[in-house]
Amino acid sequence: MALRDQIRIMVVDDMSTSRGLITQALDAFGIRNVASTSDGPTALKTLETSPVHLVISDYNMPDMDGLQLLHKLRTGAKTKGVGFILITGKADKAIIEHGRKLGMNNFLKKPFEPKDLQACIEAVVGRL
Amino acid sequence: MTDINDPMAEIRASFFIECEELLEALQDGLQELADGSEDAETINVVFRAVHSIKGGAGAFGLEPLVRFAHRYETVLDEVRNHRLTATSDAQKVFFQCADHLSDLVRICRDDQPIPVAEGEALLTALNALLGDEHEEEEVTAEDFQPLGVALSLDLPDLDIEAEPETPCFDIVFRPGQDLFATGNEPQMLLRNLAALGEAEITCDLSTLPPLDQLAPETPYFQWNIRLTADISEAEIREVFEFVEGLCELEVTASGVDVPVPEIVDEPPASEPEIIVEAPIVAAPVVEDAPVELKVIEPEAAAPSASAAGAQKNNAGPKSVVRVDLERIERMVNLVGELVINQAMLAQSLDQAGLSPHSDAMNGLEEFQRLTRDIQDSVMMIRAQPVKSLFQRMSRIVRESSAAVGKDVRLLTEGEGTEVDKTVIERLSDPLTHMIRNAVDHGLEKTAADREAAGKSGTGEVRLTAAHRSGRVIIEVSDDGAGIDRPRVLSIAKSKNLIPQDANLSDSEIDNLLFLPGFSTASQVSDLSGRGVGMDVVRTSIQQLGGRITITSERGKGTTFSISLPLTLAVLDGMVINVADETLVLPLNVVVETLSLGANDVQMLRPGEFVVRVRGGFVPLYDLGVMLGYRSPRETHEGSIVLLISLEDGNRAALVIDGIQDQRQVVIKGLDDSFYRAPGIAAATILGDGQIALILDPTDVIAAATPNRIMDKPMPERKVANE
Repeated sequence: MALRDQIRIMVVDDMSTSRGLITQALDAFGIRNVASTSDGPTALKTLETSPVHLVISDYNMPDMDGLQLLHKLRTGAKTKGVGFILITGKADKAIIEHGRKLGMNNFLKKPFEPKDLQACIEAVVGRL
Repeated sequence: MTDINDPMAEIRASFFIECEELLEALQDGLQELADGSEDAETINVVFRAVHSIKGGAGAFGLEPLVRFAHRYETVLDEVRNHRLTATSDAQKVFFQCADHLSDLVRICRDDQPIPVAEGEALLTALNALLGDEHEEEEVTAEDFQPLGVALSLDLPDLDIEAEPETPCFDIVFRPGQDLFATGNEPQMLLRNLAALGEAEITCDLSTLPPLDQLAPETPYFQWNIRLTADISEAEIREVFEFVEGLCELEVTASGVDVPVPEIVDEPPASEPEIIVEAPIVAAPVVEDAPVELKVIEPEAAAPSASAAGAQKNNAGPKSVVRVDLERIERMVNLVGELVINQAMLAQSLDQAGLSPHSDAMNGLEEFQRLTRDIQDSVMMIRAQPVKSLFQRMSRIVRESSAAVGKDVRLLTEGEGTEVDKTVIERLSDPLTHMIRNAVDHGLEKTAADREAAGKSGTGEVRLTAAHRSGRVIIEVSDDGAGIDRPRVLSIAKSKNLIPQDANLSDSEIDNLLFLPGFSTASQVSDLSGRGVGMDVVRTSIQQLGGRITITSERGKGTTFSISLPLTLAVLDGMVINVADETLVLPLNVVVETLSLGANDVQMLRPGEFVVRVRGGFVPLYDLGVMLGYRSPRETHEGSIVLLISLEDGNRAALVIDGIQDQRQVVIKGLDDSFYRAPGIAAATILGDGQIALILDPTDVIAAATPNRIMDKPMPERKVANE
């Protein structure tokens, strides 16, 4: 079985359009196990019981931004090993640097093409 | 309509819907800032709204939108990070940018060409706010070394360090030919094995030969065991120590036995109108359990702290489904048909002479109740708060006050008042016109004029909405100089709109503003004088089954009041007889019914009567005479009278000939080709297929007031082709 058949991914974005775009792209890659949620706290709660291999999260979200989510993931016993890709509208140096320190696996600047997303994911998990 | 087979088109459509919500949040946030909000979250909300629009626009390659949103967002980011102060001038730019952004969204949505000039001025204004070159330091993908992650596809490593899970072994135990002969008993072995941990044992019968070939002393079975136990492989092999060589034993560590949590996929895109979100089900789902699909509100994308809290309590998020308006329209029409059909059925059952206690009649009653419930529910679907409409008006105020150089503030009230969606849509144009009028004509020309009149230099336009006696009242008022009646009168005379010798009351003069071709602006201004007068406004309101009235006080201001029906579809009516006609009166205006005695009626002067109702006097009108169905009667003794409440709070008594029934009627609009007969709001079809006119009582009374010049039937002017 190819990696894409088995990998589980969670998409976190407060904008349903963005969630739709990402999940649509993942679907086009043949990735079937995709969950999505609109905010960090829900993502954390869900990941406790339904672990995934990779979290793809937007940076700019109310209440808990992408890096705050990453921090929570890295300090959570069950989630510290999960892959994390940050989607950001602005690849601000400070944000990326902060992300690197927190153990961000990769980032992707919006807007992106599906192939960019694929390359970004493959850089983290290997060939899909 | 989007192509349902194209998921991208669907996402694009949902993006524009989401944009409307973001733009609304943006407006709200900017307004809060303008009102002096100190909350840091306010500017965050404003920033995020623009940022999200930019993000989505980028995905769909809407370059002009991205470009503008990007610059706007950059400035907002500076404000957010306290590097820039949102002065009132800056806020003005922000509002204009929000307006422009909303234009761009609409233009992109409708694939229209982008007007270049407008945005450039705002971009320049934004750049000016940023001051010296603003450095944006961005990281490129090359600068970042992606960090690989070791994947275990059973997900054990995610948990292994945290909480060592119990190892799991797959064991295959295949007894050899001599196992029984040596006195070994597989059952004992399996029992010992099971004692080590949790064992799932299945017996494989596939090697069992047909009965005629079966040797009784030969073992044929083999067992597959899945053992979950915190032990080593050696400990497992120990169990089989005594049968070593007498059996085949395979032990494989199969890793951590994690129960596979169900993950719900995004549902396949098939219905573009309904956005269903499938979040991961929170609890692990038992295998074979049906997959649970929750419908959550896409807008819950920005959950407030309390909403998040509610979710934690497992209360479940509020469900929202987006539905194509056409489907609702169809439902409304069907409900209309249902109501008519129910009335017809009631009529035939009645004519069949059934006892009111018969099953059929009881069933009918239940049917009527259900019909009413369905109708209410359907109407509720169509109801929307007027907030979006009011937000649009705040833009009109900003633009029009800037155009005429006045300082104007818009106050709104009752934004949450719900009105039928169609009504909201069709109110936009008339309200726009009224707001422009209020800013342009209503308010004094200069701040100095206002201050001379003892008012603040900033003019005030007030927009309110409220529910009152089953109707929606929307008012536009200004605190300007009020209507200059002598001037209005002289203009009307000079344009030959009224006879030169006409002697009019104040309210009649005010109403001259509604005459076609009336315009008080001495010169056509940029704003209101576009050849569209208040007469067009009035026509649009009347087409919605509404009324518009005007009150003005010299020096204090002018108020336009629009009264609209709550719904355009169905009405609770009282079916009455007048002369030989069947008419319908809205039930909510009827206070009580009376039968007139000999001494109840008093004549004030010929043709004017009042009726005594519990110590008070109420003016009496003969509906048949008012509508021209018959000539006045000698006496009203014995007549049936309906006591009705009018919108201005007064009461009136209407003489009618009989009451047939109370029932729901479906409102059918009268064609534009009819003259607007005063007092007639619409028509309906009754149970027997007969057509009956629906009265507007306030209008009937108004039309009956003597010397009215305004409500003579006038040829309708079409506002727009519908």
